[in-house]
Amino acid sequence: MPVMEETQLILDHKFDPQTCRHMVNGELMVMHCHHFITLYTQLAEDCGMLDGKKLMAEVAEDTFNEMLNKYYREHEVTDVTDRITIAEQYYSAIGLGQMKVLCAGADGGEVELVHSHVDEGWLKKWGKHETSVNYVTSGYIAGLFSAVFGQPTRHFNAVETQSIVCGAKSSRFQVVAN
Amino acid sequence: MAIDRKRVIQSLSKIQVVGNDQGLIPAFGVLVNQLPTKFWNGFGERLTRGVGPDTLEAAEWLLINAAHECGYHTGHGIITSEEWKSVVAPMVENTEDVLHGAFAVFTAWGWAKSEIVELVPNEKMVVRAYDYYEQDVVSYGASAKPSAYMIRGVCAAFMDLAYGGKYDPTGKTGMRTFTCQQTKGIECGDEYGEFVVTRAA
Repeated sequence: MPVMEETQLILDHKFDPQTCRHMVNGELMVMHCHHFITLYTQLAEDCGMLDGKKLMAEVAEDTFNEMLNKYYREHEVTDVTDRITIAEQYYSAIGLGQMKVLCAGADGGEVELVHSHVDEGWLKKWGKHETSVNYVTSGYIAGLFSAVFGQPTRHFNAVETQSIVCGAKSSRFQVVAN
Repeated sequence: MAIDRKRVIQSLSKIQVVGNDQGLIPAFGVLVNQLPTKFWNGFGERLTRGVGPDTLEAAEWLLINAAHECGYHTGHGIITSEEWKSVVAPMVENTEDVLHGAFAVFTAWGWAKSEIVELVPNEKMVVRAYDYYEQDVVSYGASAKPSAYMIRGVCAAFMDLAYGGKYDPTGKTGMRTFTCQQTKGIECGDEYGEFVVTRAA
């Protein structure tokens, strides 16, 4: 039986000494810490002015969908399995945690996080929380599914059903096409 | 010895961060992420333009506060890190050098190409930023609203670390002894961003 080699994410880092900006795969990137992302998440959570959770998930969906689509296009990644593998590796490379897409199809799927930057950062900063807080990853997953299946953003909805921040061993997300 | 900004930027800009086998980046006493700037700008801009004039100030304060806490804790992690000890610490003779060094690191790691242009120890600091990712919220014309919330928070945090007393990991003391106003912004049509840090009331 032939052994299939797993597709490997390529990270091309460049620093522009003129602007002092960092690019990874042509994408302007910046380093921040768990204090920053959890305070933004708390802001989204407590925001009475508008639906901050939806806003955060949608911004994440737009951002990561564009990032993955660009990568697939430039590296000619067309196979569904390869696209998912790259998306999982990208999630880890940028420090968001360890993601496993358990199943995926044109109408939905399931995703598990064994490690999560947002959840573990929240636990480190404030301890357990009664409800899920990982809106960034909900958006990442919705953007991932749209990129993998060639759909526009907002085509998929990812809902967190189990969370590390609530005390579970892993986080789980249900994905459904709208 | 003065801080050799060029040397600090050249040396520290080469550092690349990438997730470990758990997809996490533990560094400087915190968990680090490296996300597209579009995410941070997108959230801040859609939030501040969406909340309406009555609650804009509150929303802006929360964005600045996130950066203030980040700058305080990660800033402390940076000035006690091995990278700092090997590159910047040999040039440091006093507290003011620490601040100049911190802005060289701030520049090297892509937060803002910035430097201190005025410093009154324990009282006031003026920082200029000649290129920063938060300016990208505007790609045409000039905004009436300055948008460099991250720089505002971090500038105040660096002054806290320099003159706010002993570092407090809980953030209950030492933090928010300074406050920062943005007086100019590239996103507002100015040549550079300007940030004035003074003692908090």
